[in-house]
Amino acid sequence: MGLIDQAYDLVETEVNNVKENVKDVLDQADYDFSGAIYDSILTTKVGKVIGWAQKNALWPATFGLACCAIEMMAMANSRWDAARFGAEVFRASPRQADLMIVSGRVSQKMAPVLKIIFDQMPEPKWVISMGACASCGGIFNNYAIVQGVDRVVPVDVYVPGCPPGPEALLYGIIKLQEKIMNEAGTKQAAKRVA
Amino acid sequence: MTVTEQGLLEREKDSMTLNMGPQHPSTHGVFRVVLEMDGELVDSAEPHIGFLHTGIEKTSEAKRYVHVIPMTDRLDYLSPLGNNLAFCLTVEKLLQTDVPERAKFLRVIMCELARIASHLVWLATHALDIGAMTVFLYCWREREMILDLNEEISGVRMMTSYIRLGGVAQDSTPGWLQSVRNFIEYFPAKIDEYERLLTHNPIWLDRTQNIGVMSREEAINWSMSGPVLRASGVNWDLRKQRPYSGYENFEFEVPTGKNGDIYDRYLVRVAELRQSREIVKQALKKLPTGPYKVDDNKISLPNRKTLKSSMEALIHHFKLVSEGVSVPKGETYVPVEGPRGEVGFYIISDGSNVPSRVKLRAPSFMAIPGMCKMMEGCFIADVVGIIGSIDIVMGEVDR
Amino acid sequence: MTSEEIVKKVKIDQGEAIHSSEVNLGDSVLFVGAERIHDIAEYLKNDPDLNFDYLSNITGADYLNEEREPRFEVVYELHSIEKNHSIRIRVGLDEEDPTIPTVSDLWKGAHYPERELFDMFGFNVEGHSNLSRLIMPEDWEGNPLRKDYPLTIEDVTFSHNREFKQDLVKSKPPTR
Repeated sequence: MGLIDQAYDLVETEVNNVKENVKDVLDQADYDFSGAIYDSILTTKVGKVIGWAQKNALWPATFGLACCAIEMMAMANSRWDAARFGAEVFRASPRQADLMIVSGRVSQKMAPVLKIIFDQMPEPKWVISMGACASCGGIFNNYAIVQGVDRVVPVDVYVPGCPPGPEALLYGIIKLQEKIMNEAGTKQAAKRVA
Repeated sequence: MTVTEQGLLEREKDSMTLNMGPQHPSTHGVFRVVLEMDGELVDSAEPHIGFLHTGIEKTSEAKRYVHVIPMTDRLDYLSPLGNNLAFCLTVEKLLQTDVPERAKFLRVIMCELARIASHLVWLATHALDIGAMTVFLYCWREREMILDLNEEISGVRMMTSYIRLGGVAQDSTPGWLQSVRNFIEYFPAKIDEYERLLTHNPIWLDRTQNIGVMSREEAINWSMSGPVLRASGVNWDLRKQRPYSGYENFEFEVPTGKNGDIYDRYLVRVAELRQSREIVKQALKKLPTGPYKVDDNKISLPNRKTLKSSMEALIHHFKLVSEGVSVPKGETYVPVEGPRGEVGFYIISDGSNVPSRVKLRAPSFMAIPGMCKMMEGCFIADVVGIIGSIDIVMGEVDR
Repeated sequence: MTSEEIVKKVKIDQGEAIHSSEVNLGDSVLFVGAERIHDIAEYLKNDPDLNFDYLSNITGADYLNEEREPRFEVVYELHSIEKNHSIRIRVGLDEEDPTIPTVSDLWKGAHYPERELFDMFGFNVEGHSNLSRLIMPEDWEGNPLRKDYPLTIEDVTFSHNREFKQDLVKSKPPTR
C-alpha cells in the first residue's frame, strides 16, 4: 500500500528471519548447556557422602595389648600396607581416633582402662575385636581374662585367629568399611552420633 | 626464685606426678609407670604391672603337658620358640630322656631364627620410639621373611609350637633348608644397612650414650640377664656356660659391652644378630640325618605308617592322644638363653599326666625394678629410651 | 665345683642349720627351715668358694593335693657368675602362718618375686619394704595360685571333656 507498508513487510520478514536464526542458535546453546549440566553434577544423599568419607579415612587408636598387636604392626608395615585403605595414621591419643582395634587378651585389671579409653573417643566410633582372646576369651578360660571384649564395649567386627594374620585383619577392616557404607544415610548411622 | 651468691637464679623444686599409663605407644605393651617429676627430671619411677595377667600358671595345672606347650608360646610372644624349648627341656629332664641329634640341630636353627626375629622387633620399636621411623619399616621386611620360614615348616606364622616333647613336631624339607640358606645369604647386608643408619648417627649417639647406666655389680645384684647383663660387662651367656640342645657344637662369640648404657645394649644386640646368623649357618652345614623325634612311644607319637600294622603302636597312639605323657614325680629347673635373658621353667610333677606347678622365670619380670632404678635422675625423654633398651615384653611379666 | 662338692661343703660348714640336702637329677638341693634361711643365704653369698652372687628365681608351691606337712614351700634358685655353679634351696612353710624373712637386703632382685609370693600365695614376707598386690588388682580377694582357689572356668556350649572340667567350673565370674 505504499512505501510504509513495503517497509513494514520488509522489517517483519527480517525480524522473523532473525528470530528463526536466533531460535536455532538458542536451541543449540540450550542443548549444549544442559548436556554439560548432566555430565558434571551428581545427586546423592548427604549421608552417603559422609559415610564414604568416614570409611576411607578410619584412623585407628593404638590399643595393642598382646601378641595380636605384633600382627597389627605387621599390617601397618610395607608388606600388607594398611595405608592404602586409609588406616595410615595410628593415633596415640584416643581423642583423635575413630577406630579402636582391641588386639590381645583383656585381663580383669585392664577392663576399666579399656572402658575409659573407649569413652574418650569422640563419636562416631567403631570397634574391631581382633583375635580369639578379644572375641571370646580365646584359649584362656579362667579367672583372669574377660571372656570376650563385647562384655565391656560394643563391637562391630570380630576377626578370629590366634593371632589372625595381617591379611585377615585387613579383611576385617574392609568388612567394616562395607558396614559403614551400608549404614550410611540411614537411621543406624544417625544413632552412632548421639 | 632465689638468687645464689654468684647471682644466678635458682629454681625451686617443682614436683609433679605424671602417669605414663597402660595405654601408651612407647611402653611396649600394657605397662604403667607413675613418674614423680621435678620439672623435666625424674625423681622416682613406680611401676605398676598386672594389666596382662592371664593366669597361665594356674591354667597349666589343669591341662596335660602337650596342651601347655601352645600356652607357653603366648608368654614371650616375640620369640615363642624359646619358651617352647625351655618347657620341653625341663620336662625331658624329668622324664630323663635324650633327644636325637637331628632334633637338637633343628631346635637350634628355629630358636636362633626366633632370636633374630625378636631382636628385629626390638630394634624397630626402640628406634621408632627414639624417632627413627625408617628402621621400623626396614626391620619388618626381614622379619616377614623369617615368619614365612616359620609358616613353611610348621604352618603358623608366629605361635608355631614347633618344639614338642621328645623332639620337634615335623621334619624339615630340602626346600625349606634352601630357603633358610637364601635368607642367611641375604641378611648380613641388611644388618649393615641398619648400622649405617644408626651406629654413628650423632642424634642416636646423643640420645643413647651415658643414659641409663648400670654398673656390673648393680646388674648382678638386681638380677638382670641377657643382653642387659652383657652390656654391663658380665660375660654370662647360658649357651656357653650351661650348654643345652647341642650348642657346644657351634663356634660363636658372646659380645659384651663396657659402660652399661643404652648404646652398649644396642651394640650388643646388633652383634648378637650377626652371631645368630653364624650359628644358623653352621647348623645348616652340620645338620645330621636321622629321626626327628625320640623313638620312645610313651613320649612321642609313633610313625603313622606303623599304625596300620603294629598293635603296640596303635595302643601307644591312643594312650598318648587321650591321656598324655605321664611324668615321674620330681621337680627341676632348666634355664635357657632367650633373647631377653634367662628363661626357665620350674616344674613340679606329682607323677600324673598333669603338672602340679609350672612357674616361668621371666627375664623381663626380674628386670623391671632395676629398670625403674635406672630412670631416676634422667629426663623424661630418656625414660622412653630406657624402656626400649631393656626390651620388656608384658606377656611374660604378667603371665 | 660340682653339685656333690657343693652339698658336701655346705654340710660340713652349716650342718646343724639345714634339715637335709641331696643331689637331684644333677642339681644340688638344700632343705632349710624358715627361721634359718637368711643366715644360710648370707653364708652362700659371702663364702669365697661358693660365691652365689646372682639370684635367679624365687618360686612358691602348694602341696595340698599330696597332703604332706608342711603344705607350702618357697624355692630359691641361686647362680654364681664367677664359679658357674647353681644351688636350689627349698623352705617349707606351715599352713596356718606362712611367714618367711626377706632376702632382698642381700639380692635386690628379690623384691619383685617376694611381692608376687604375697600376692599369689598369701605368704607374709618379713622385712619387705613394700608388700602389696603386684599382679592382681588392688582390691582382689583371695590368692589365685593356692590349690583351693578355683580356676573359675566358664561353661561353654561345646566341650569334649566336660566331666574332666566339671570340678573346675565354679559359679560364673562376675563381670565388671
